[in-house]
Amino acid sequence: MVFNLSALEEPYALISREHGKFRVCIIVNRCKECGLCIAVCPTKVLVKSSVINAYGYHPPEPANIEKCIGCRLCEYNCPDFAIFVERVG
Amino acid sequence: MAMKTPPLIHPLDKHLRLDRVPTMYCPGCGIGIALGAMFRALDRRFNEGLLDPNRIVWVGGIGCSARATLYVNYDAAHVLHGRAIPFALGVILANPNLQVIVIGGDGDIAGIGGNHLIHAAKRNIDMIVVMITNFVYAMTGGQVAPTTPVGVKTTTTPYGNPEPPINVVKVVTSLNANYVARASVTTPHYIESFFYKALGMKGFRFIEIVSTCPEVYGRHIGLRDPVDMYNELKKRVKYKQKPSIEESDISWDTGIVIGEFLERNNPSYLELLTGVRGK
Ligand SMILES: Cc1ncc(C[n+]2csc(CCOP(=O)(O)OP(=O)(O)O)c2C)c(N)n1
Ligand code: SF4
Ligand code: SF4
Ligand code: SF4
Repeated sequence: MVFNLSALEEPYALISREHGKFRVCIIVNRCKECGLCIAVCPTKVLVKSSVINAYGYHPPEPANIEKCIGCRLCEYNCPDFAIFVERVG
Repeated sequence: MAMKTPPLIHPLDKHLRLDRVPTMYCPGCGIGIALGAMFRALDRRFNEGLLDPNRIVWVGGIGCSARATLYVNYDAAHVLHGRAIPFALGVILANPNLQVIVIGGDGDIAGIGGNHLIHAAKRNIDMIVVMITNFVYAMTGGQVAPTTPVGVKTTTTPYGNPEPPINVVKVVTSLNANYVARASVTTPHYIESFFYKALGMKGFRFIEIVSTCPEVYGRHIGLRDPVDMYNELKKRVKYKQKPSIEESDISWDTGIVIGEFLERNNPSYLELLTGVRGK
């Protein structure tokens, strides 16, 4: 688990998972739990996490990261600049 | 929370005033999606070396949409409600080397600011106007807006809106604008490509971005959940390669056509003033 409770004091805490090609990162304390990233992901990589951020919201986590195709729809549809995708491979 | 100088984490962080993030926008508000797409278009122009970030000025009036000017890490002015376009005209006349971007809601741009919009388009003034259409006066709690569809109950139309909305795309197209396009927050790639194109043009460029306001408009129409509202809008949005003006009316029943309605190269106001191009 990347996340721990000290993230509440850490403004730039990240939840981050990767496979051979892509890394999906969530900036924990920017997320407002709107669910758009989860809804637009074509391969259902993201699920709501049990983490509670500094504002009381549950950010998503890339639970099924092995399915990520790097399309960046999650990044492009997040209204809060809270999730982004990097190419690692 | 201890604040230190924010590190750049997200690929768009350099465009943002990070000390003001998270924004005041409600969860799932479409304005942030639109802003992100505009930032990516700017990045493409910067990378081509065709645009200098120091020559960009954002201007907004009042409203949730216009408030974007508080979050952009550029020179920006947050001015009187409805008066973003005249302010932007002052900016461009004072320094014609700037690229001026006006952003605002449909109330700000086409309601109280409607006369400025018409005359800026008529004069083909060198500026990009981005109008975020969320069908309501959102910031003030959900009064009827110039774009509110007929029948919708708002705080000022408790029995349903009796007035047909303005088709702002049609109005601006009837004038002397050089570019008129419409995208939706459900199609961020089209926002990016239309804004990218507008950044490379002269004269008056108008982009309407149909957006989601789950908090206020969503409440009015029974789509309070951001994902539901996004999906319902997405279902209705249809991209067309070369849409005609006749099909530009926004209808929740028959669909919302997006695309580039007008693209031409009429002499811009600055070109006429400086004699670069004649009549
Ligand atoms: C001169 C003036 N009149 C009225 C207001 C109140 N007011 C603030 S924002 C707003 C309308 C907001 O609607 P819109 O421009 O569509 O932006 P949105 O919040 O929907 O993005 C109004 C009427 C004001 N601030 N100034
Ligand atoms: S990049 Fe695409 S596939 Fe990967 S998590 Fe984001 S939306 Fe899903
Ligand atoms: S789209 Fe952004 S703000 Fe919304 S749940 Fe996903 S990460 Fe959080
Ligand atoms: S009131 Fe509507 S437009 Fe304003 S921030 Fe909230 S969701 Fe967005």
